Amino acid sequence: MSENATGAEAAWSYRTGAWFAVFGTNATVLLPASQKDQVIGIWGLVDGGAGFDEVLDGLLASGLSRLPGFVLVSSGEAATRVLLRGEDVHATLTADGADVVLDGAASHTWVERTVERVTALTVTVPAEDGVEASTADLPVATGLVRVGRIDRPAVLPVAAPAAAAEVPAPPAMVEEPEVADLPVVEESPVPDESSALDEVPALPPPGVPIVGGAHLAADPLTLPIALANHTPDALDGPVEEPAEELAEELVEEPVEEPSPFDEGPATELMDQVDADLLDDTANEPIAAVDPLSDPLPEQPAQPDQPAPDGWVTPWDSPPVEPPVEPAVEADEDQMDALVDPDTPAVPSAPLPPMGGETEIAPAGWVPPPPPGASPSSDAPPLPIGSWEPIGGAVPPPPGAQEAAPFDADHDGQTVSGASAAAAAPMPGIPGQPPAPAITQPVAKLLISDGQTIVVDRAVLIGRAPEARRFTSTEQPTLVTVPSRLHEISSTHVEVRPGTGADHGSAVVTDMGSTNGTVLVQPGLGPEDLKPGIAVQLIPGAIVNLGDGVTIQVTRP
Amino acid sequence: MNDVQQVELHHGAATDVGRVREANEDAYLADPPVFVVADGMGGHDRGDVASRIVVEEFARLAVDGYDAQRGAEAVAATLQAVQDRILAFDAEQRAGGADDSFSAGTTAVVALLVGSESGPVWLLANVGDSRAYRFSDGELEQVSVDHSVVQELVDSGQITAAAAAVHPSRNVITRALGGSALPGGVSGEADYFLLPLAAAERLLLCSDGVSGMLDHEQIRSILDLWEDPRDAADQVVAAAVEAGGHDNATAVVVDVVGLVHSEPHDSAASRMSLEQKLGALP
Repeated sequence: MSENATGAEAAWSYRTGAWFAVFGTNATVLLPASQKDQVIGIWGLVDGGAGFDEVLDGLLASGLSRLPGFVLVSSGEAATRVLLRGEDVHATLTADGADVVLDGAASHTWVERTVERVTALTVTVPAEDGVEASTADLPVATGLVRVGRIDRPAVLPVAAPAAAAEVPAPPAMVEEPEVADLPVVEESPVPDESSALDEVPALPPPGVPIVGGAHLAADPLTLPIALANHTPDALDGPVEEPAEELAEELVEEPVEEPSPFDEGPATELMDQVDADLLDDTANEPIAAVDPLSDPLPEQPAQPDQPAPDGWVTPWDSPPVEPPVEPAVEADEDQMDALVDPDTPAVPSAPLPPMGGETEIAPAGWVPPPPPGASPSSDAPPLPIGSWEPIGGAVPPPPGAQEAAPFDADHDGQTVSGASAAAAAPMPGIPGQPPAPAITQPVAKLLISDGQTIVVDRAVLIGRAPEARRFTSTEQPTLVTVPSRLHEISSTHVEVRPGTGADHGSAVVTDMGSTNGTVLVQPGLGPEDLKPGIAVQLIPGAIVNLGDGVTIQVTRP
Repeated sequence: MNDVQQVELHHGAATDVGRVREANEDAYLADPPVFVVADGMGGHDRGDVASRIVVEEFARLAVDGYDAQRGAEAVAATLQAVQDRILAFDAEQRAGGADDSFSAGTTAVVALLVGSESGPVWLLANVGDSRAYRFSDGELEQVSVDHSVVQELVDSGQITAAAAAVHPSRNVITRALGGSALPGGVSGEADYFLLPLAAAERLLLCSDGVSGMLDHEQIRSILDLWEDPRDAADQVVAAAVEAGGHDNATAVVVDVVGLVHSEPHDSAASRMSLEQKLGALP
C-alpha cells in the first residue's frame, strides 16, 4: 500500500454497474459494456500513466461514431476536465459550493467542461438490463472495474468495516485497516447504510488507505474478483480465503503474477464476467472458484477466439489454450472492421436481449450478447442444416469495409465490396472439420421404409429435409422418411462421411430434432444423440428417428 | 427432368423502375422450372447488360434442360458462363474506348426444380443481395442469406436484423457476378439451398428494391392476401414502389400446385430447439 502515491485525496469510489471504468493516475475513463474490447487498450494507456489528451486520442482512435458513450475525467490536474458522451450519462461537479451538472446526451459529439477547484465530482452512467445497480460505494485508486457511478473524492461509508463484517469474514479483516480494505474489492452491497451515507461526501478517513483498486491494477488476478462478485452469494468463495494471506499478497507487489496480457485467463474471466453480469443465475460457478489460489477456471469455450470451427458448445472439443494477445487483437480488429464508421452512433437504450421483439436500434450500436450466450454464439438463430458456422466466425475482411465509401457516390445503389471470407463459405457441420464434398462410399443406410442410401456425401434425413447454404460441389442427398405421427422433424439427422479420426466411417448428427434421436451401437446400450454433435457409426448400428423409422448402418 | 415435369408450377412476375432511377437494371426470368431475378448493380457500368446476361444464360438452361440430379452443378456452370460473358463484355467495352475501370456487375437469385431421392425439390442459389423467400402456412421465411456487409454484421452478432434494415451500408454487397474491376475483386460463388416442395408452397424471388422497401410483415401479408401468383408479384412490386421506389423493384412468385400439403412445417421449432440445446439461446 505504501506505493499508493495518489493518496486518499485523489481516490475515487464507485458503485458497481454495467460500464467499465478505468481509473488511472492521470485520467479516468468510463466506457459502456459494449466497448469491452476497447477497454483493454484503454486500460493499457491509462495504467501506463497516459495523460488526458493521450487517452482521448486512444478513445477516439477508431472514430467517435463507434463510441455510443464514454466519460473521460482528468486526474491530478489543478482544474478538472470532464468529457461526457451518451444517453443517461451525467456528471455533477461541485466547485466553490456550486454544482455544475453535465448531460452526455446534450451534444452530438460530446460535452466538455473544465472546472477549477472541484471539491466533489460524481458521474453516473446508465444501468443495463439485468444488472442490478448497487448502492454500495467502494473505494478505488487505480484499476479496472465495472461501475454504475463514480465519485471523487471517495464516498467512504464510515461503516465500511462494519459492512465488511456482515459478510462471513475472519475478524482480522475488521480490525486491520489494510485487510479491511479487502472486502471492499469484493463489494458487499449494503444498500441502506451506504445510500444514506453517500449523501455526505465524506472524505475518507486519512488513516484508511484506499488501495484496493490500485492493486486491482497491479494484480491481474484480483481483477476478476472485483468484476465477478456482484451479488452477496458470490462473496462466499473469496471471502472465506484466509484474509491475511490475501492482504499480504496485496501489500507485496505480486511480481510473479502474470500480466493479464500475456496469459489467457484474464480475458476468459472477463468474458465469464460479462455473461455473469447479464445473467445473475450464472453467479454460482464463479463464486465457487477461488480466483487467487485456484488455477483459473476452465472456460467451456473461448468466445473471443476466432474459432476456426466457428461453433462453440460447452461440451465440444476441450478449449485449446491460445495465445490470448493475438486473439484479443483479432477481436479488436474485428470490432473495428465491423462497426460502421459512418454511423451516427446515437446512444440509446440497449437492445432487448435476443428473443425480445424488434426495436429499431440505431445502426452501429453493438448489442449486448443475450443472457447466457457467449459473445460468439449470439448470432441469430441459424437454420437447421445450415452450412454456415454458428458464431459467424466470418469477420468481414477490411476490404468489405473499405467498400463502404462507395455508397456515398451511388446514392443508395447497390455496390459491391470484396469479401475474402464470403468468397469461401465454410462448409460442414459446425464444430467439425469440413468434410470433403463427395468421398468413397463409407456406409450404406437401410431405412426401415425400404430405402437404401449410400453415404458418399452428406445425407439429410427427415420428414421433409432441407439443406442450406452449401456450395455447388457438395450438394447433399435429401432423404424423406414417412412420419405419420410427426415425431420426426423435417430435417432430423445428417449422416455423412467422417473426417479426421472418423475418416473412413460415417458419422451421424442430430440436427436439433424436436424429439431426439436414439443410437444403438452394436454391443452398447441406447444412446441419445446430442444435437449438433457428430457420433461415429459402427456397421451394425441402428439409428432410431421415432415414429417407427429406424436406420440400419451397414458397410457400403 | 422426368419427375420435375410432374409438378405443376404457377407463377407471376413483375418489375418496376421505381421512382428514383432512370433505368431499370433489374431483369427476371420465369420459365418453369427455372426462375431468376437479377439486379444489375447501380453505380457500375451497364448493370442492365449484366443482369440481362444472367437471364439469357438461365433461359438457355431452361430450354436445353439439365440433369435434375445434379442441379447445383448445372447452376454453377451457368453462373460461370454468366461470369465469363460479363468479363468479356467488360473487355469489349474497354477495347471500345471505355475507361480501364469499366466493370459491369449483377446479383442473381435462382430457383429451379431438381430431383432428389424423394422426388423434386427446389434448388435455390443466390449471389449478392437479391433474395429468395418461402411462404408456407401463412409464414414467410427468408431462405437465402445475403452476401452483404450488413448480413456479415448480423451473422457475427454485431447488429440485429432490424438494425441491418436501416444500416447505412446495407447496399454494400460482398459477392456479385462481374464487378471485376472493383477493388479487391468480388466472388461470384453462389450459396445453394434445397427445399422440399411441401415446405415452400410459394416462393418469392426479389431484388433489393423490394426487400429494402418493404419489411418482412408487409411482404408476408401481400403474399398471404393475393392467391394468384401474378397478382401477388404485381402487388409486391406495386407496394415497393408505393413505399418509395428507391430502387428498381422486381418480384417473381412461384406456386407449387397440386401438392397435398398435410404436414405443418416444424423447422422453426426444431431450429429453436437446436439453439436451445446448444446453449445459444436462453
